[in-house]
Amino acid sequence: MIAFGQFLEVLVSGLLAGVLYSLVALGFVLIFKASGVFNFAQGAMVLLAGLALVRSLDFMVAKGLPFWAAIIIALLFAALIMAITAWLVERFVLGPLINQDGLTLFMSTIGVTFMIEGGAQMLFGSDVYPLRLFPSDAWFLFESSFPGGILVSKIDVWGGMIAAVLVVGLALFFQKTKTGRALRAVADDHAAAQSVGISLNWIWFIVWLVAGLVALVAATVWGTKLGVQFSITFLALKALPVLIIGGFTSVPGAIVGGLIIGAGEKIAEAYLGPFIGGGIEYWFAYVLALVVLMARPQGLFGERIIERI
Amino acid sequence: MRAPDGPPVTAGDVLLSIDNVSLSFGGVKAVSGVSFDIRKGEIRAIIGPNGAGKTSMLNIINGFYHPQEGVITYKGEARAKMRPHDAADGGIARTFQNVALFRGMTALDNIMAGRTLKMRRNMFWQMLRVGPALAEEVEHRHRVEEIIDFLKIQEIRRTPVSRLPYGLQKRVELGRALAMEPELLLLDEPMAGMNIEEKEDMSRFILDVNDHYGTTIALIEHDMGVVMDLSDRVVVLDHGIKIADGTPNEVKSNQAVIDAYLGVAH
Amino acid sequence: MFYRETGQFKSSYAADMAIFPIRQDRIALWVVLAAAFVAVPLLDFFQVWPFGGEYILRAILIPFLILSLAAIGLNILTGYCGQLSLGSGAFMAIGAYSTYKFCTGVHIPLELFTISIPPLPVLPSILLGALMSAFVGILFGIPSLRIKGLYLAVATLAAQFFFDWVFIRVKWFTNYTSSGSVAAPDLVFFGFTVTTPIHRYLLCLVFVSIFALLAKNLVRGNIGRQWMATRDMDIAAELMGIRPLYAKLSAFALSSFVMGVAGALWAFVYLGAWEPLAFNIDRSFQILFMVIIGGLGSILGSFLGAAFILVLPILLDQVPHALGVPVSVETVSLLVFVVTGALICWLLIVEPRGFARLWSTGKEKLRLWPYPY
Repeated sequence: MIAFGQFLEVLVSGLLAGVLYSLVALGFVLIFKASGVFNFAQGAMVLLAGLALVRSLDFMVAKGLPFWAAIIIALLFAALIMAITAWLVERFVLGPLINQDGLTLFMSTIGVTFMIEGGAQMLFGSDVYPLRLFPSDAWFLFESSFPGGILVSKIDVWGGMIAAVLVVGLALFFQKTKTGRALRAVADDHAAAQSVGISLNWIWFIVWLVAGLVALVAATVWGTKLGVQFSITFLALKALPVLIIGGFTSVPGAIVGGLIIGAGEKIAEAYLGPFIGGGIEYWFAYVLALVVLMARPQGLFGERIIERI
Repeated sequence: MRAPDGPPVTAGDVLLSIDNVSLSFGGVKAVSGVSFDIRKGEIRAIIGPNGAGKTSMLNIINGFYHPQEGVITYKGEARAKMRPHDAADGGIARTFQNVALFRGMTALDNIMAGRTLKMRRNMFWQMLRVGPALAEEVEHRHRVEEIIDFLKIQEIRRTPVSRLPYGLQKRVELGRALAMEPELLLLDEPMAGMNIEEKEDMSRFILDVNDHYGTTIALIEHDMGVVMDLSDRVVVLDHGIKIADGTPNEVKSNQAVIDAYLGVAH
Repeated sequence: MFYRETGQFKSSYAADMAIFPIRQDRIALWVVLAAAFVAVPLLDFFQVWPFGGEYILRAILIPFLILSLAAIGLNILTGYCGQLSLGSGAFMAIGAYSTYKFCTGVHIPLELFTISIPPLPVLPSILLGALMSAFVGILFGIPSLRIKGLYLAVATLAAQFFFDWVFIRVKWFTNYTSSGSVAAPDLVFFGFTVTTPIHRYLLCLVFVSIFALLAKNLVRGNIGRQWMATRDMDIAAELMGIRPLYAKLSAFALSSFVMGVAGALWAFVYLGAWEPLAFNIDRSFQILFMVIIGGLGSILGSFLGAAFILVLPILLDQVPHALGVPVSVETVSLLVFVVTGALICWLLIVEPRGFARLWSTGKEKLRLWPYPY
C-alpha cells in the first residue's frame, strides 16, 4: 500500500497546487469573457497585489498596529492599488485600443505586464517578502491506512477553500447583481450592450477591478506559500496552459484545467521525472497543453468553431 | 493554360454540376437537396432572400465547406472531399461578400498574390532574386499590370488596400481573382453597398471579363435589375431549397419566386 | 525639398521593383554601408571612439547586429506571416548549442550503429546548427496548421520552456561540463582566427548584411506575398491556392534558421562562454519587443527596434548621471521595464507598425515638403 499512499499524496498535493493555477486563470477568464482581451498581465497583477499587501502590512506592524487591524488595512490598501491599476489600464491602454484585433490587444497587455512589473518593484521593492496569513504546516491524514499517512499542506487546503468561496462569490456576482448582468451582456455583444445604455469603459474598469481583486486573493495564498517575489509571475504563466485546456471563457473550465495541470505535472514529476531527469514540472504543463491542442484545437471544453467568410 | 483534370470543356458544355447536395451545421440545414449546373462561358446568377444558403453554395463549390450529401462534378470529374486550394488549382477563383483583401498589402501586392499558383521558382531563387527568379517576377508583373489597366486602378497600385474606399476595394478584389486566370469565377455580391455609377462600372467589368477571357461566372446578387441584365441563367434558392431555375424572364414570372420574395399569406 | 523622386523615371518593371526605387534612398543605403564597413574600422584603427576603448564595439555594435538578425528572424514569422512566437530564445539556443556540438564533434552511440561526426570548422557548424534550429522550428510550427493566434503563442512557450530545460538537464549538449556553462572554441574562418572586437564586429556585419538582403528579397517576392496573405486573411489566401502548410512552415523554418544563426553568433562571437540562461524567456520577450517597436513586417524596423531596445537602458543609465541625479543600477533595470512597456502600449495605440512606419510616413511628408499635398 506504500505505492498507493504515495500516489494519493502526490495526487492531492498536485490537485491543491492546481487550485492555485486556477486562481490566476480565473482572472484571465473574467477579463477575456467581458472584453475579449487576453490579459497577459494577470501574473504581474498577482505580483503587484502581493507586494502592495505585504509591504503595507509589514509597515503597519512595524508601527505597532495590532495584526488584525493591520491585515484589514493592508487588504484595503492593496485593493485600492488594484483599483487604481484597473483605472489606469482602462483609461490609457485599452480605451484607446477599442475595436483592435485580439493579437494587438494581447501584445498591449504584454506591455502592461512590463509596466506593472517594473512599477510594482520600484514602488514596493524587489526582494522576497514572506507573508504569514495562513498556517503553513501540514496535516498527516489516514495514518492508520498508510504508513506515515498522507501529507497534506494546510496552506494548500486554505487555497482550495478560498478558491471555492471565490467561485461561488463570482457566480453570485454575475447572476444576482446588476453590474454582473451588464458584464454578461457585454461579453455576448459589445455593440448591443452599448445600445441599451451600458457604458463599455465603466464595464471594462469593473472587470479589471474584479480581476485585480482575484489577483489579490491569489497573492495572499501564493505569497504565504512562496513569499511575495518576482518569480510569482513565472508561475502565473502556467495559467496559460490551464486556459488552453479549460477554455478561455469558462469559469468551471479554469478550475478543472487547473486541477488537471496541477495533478498532471506532479504525477509526471514523480513517476516520469526519475527516468528523463528531474525538473520536468518546468515544461510539462505547456507540452500537455500542446498535446491537447493538437487533438482538440478548441480546447477540452471549447465549442467547435465554424469558420465563415 | 494547364487543365489539371479531365478533358478540356468547350463552350456550352456543363462545367460544373451540383447533384442533390445537402449541407448542415449541427442541426441547422443550410442547403438541402439542391441540384443545378453551370455551363462553360455563361454568367449564372444565384439569387434568393437572406439566409437562402447562397454563400454556403459558393463555399461548397470552392471546397471551403464539405457537403454531407450529394455529388459535385467539376470538368467531368466527381470531386471527393478536397481542400480549398485544390479548387484554386482547378481554376476556381472567388471574391467575397465582405471584402476579404489582404489589408496590410498594397493593391499591387494583392493582385500579385493572385499569381501565386502560376509562379514556379523556388525559395532559393527567390532569396537571390537574380536571373530566372527576377525574370519571373517581371513577367508576372506585366500580366498584373494588364489587369490593373483593365480595371482602371493604375493610380492606386501602391496604396495599402485598407486606405481605399469600398468600391475600389471591390475592384481590387476582382483584380486579384482575375490574376488567377480562372475558368470559373465566383462573385459573392460584387455590387453590395455600391452606388449606381459604381454598379454600372462593375457590371461592365463583369461583362468584359466574360466576353474577353471567356470566363464562366457564377454570381450572387441582390439587385434584381443587375441580375436580369447580366445573367444568362438564374437559380433561385430559398431556405436552402432550390425553388426555380431558368432564364431571367422565366424566373421573373415564376410564382414560387414571387412568393419567396414578397412573402405569401398562409 | 531634396528628398523627392521628380525626374526619376523607370523604364522597366525590374527597376520599379528594386529595393529602393528612389535614388536618395539608395544613396542613404550606400552611406550607411560605407559607414559600417569602412568608417567604423577606421575609427577603431585610429582609436577615435566617443566613449574610448572598445566599449562601443563590445557593448553596443556587436550585440546590436546580432539582435537585429534575431529580430529579422522573428519578424519573418510574426511580422510577415502573422504567427506570434514567444519562443525565440529557444530557437537561438538550439542554434547555439547545435553549433557548439558540430564544432566539438558529435558522437551518438546507437544500438545498431554509431553516429559520429568529427569536429567541423566554425562556418559549416553555424550553418548546420541553424539547420537544426530550422528543423525544430518546423516541428513546433506544425500546430500552427490547426491552431491560431493566442493558442499558438502558448505552443511556442512550450518550445521555450522545454528547451530551457533540455539544455540545463541534458549534459550531452554541454559536453558534460560540471558548471553547465560552455565556452566557444576559437573562431577560425578560412584559416583566419577572429579575436579582436573589430574583427568580431566585421564578422557579424557580414552575416547580418547577407541575411538582411536575402530576407528582404524573400519578403518582397512570391513567398513573402504568401506569408502576408496568410497573415492578413488566411481563409481567403487558402481559397486563392496558397497552401497554409507551405506558407506557415516555410516561415517557421526560415525564421528559426535565421534565429539559429543569431543564437550561434550571440554565443560564439558576443558571449564567448555562456549558460542556458542566455536564451531564456527574457531573451524571447526582448526580441519580440524589438520587432513590435521597430515595426511588424519591416526588415528596416528590425534594425530600428534592436537599436532602440539596446540603447534605452544605456540612455536611462547615462542621462540621470549627466543631470546629476544618482540612480541605482536596480532602479535603471526596473525603469527599463516600465519605459519599454509604456512604449509598446503607446506604439500599438498610435502606430501599430512601429518606428519603421513612422519613418516612412516621415519620408512621405518630406517628399511633399514644403507643400502639404
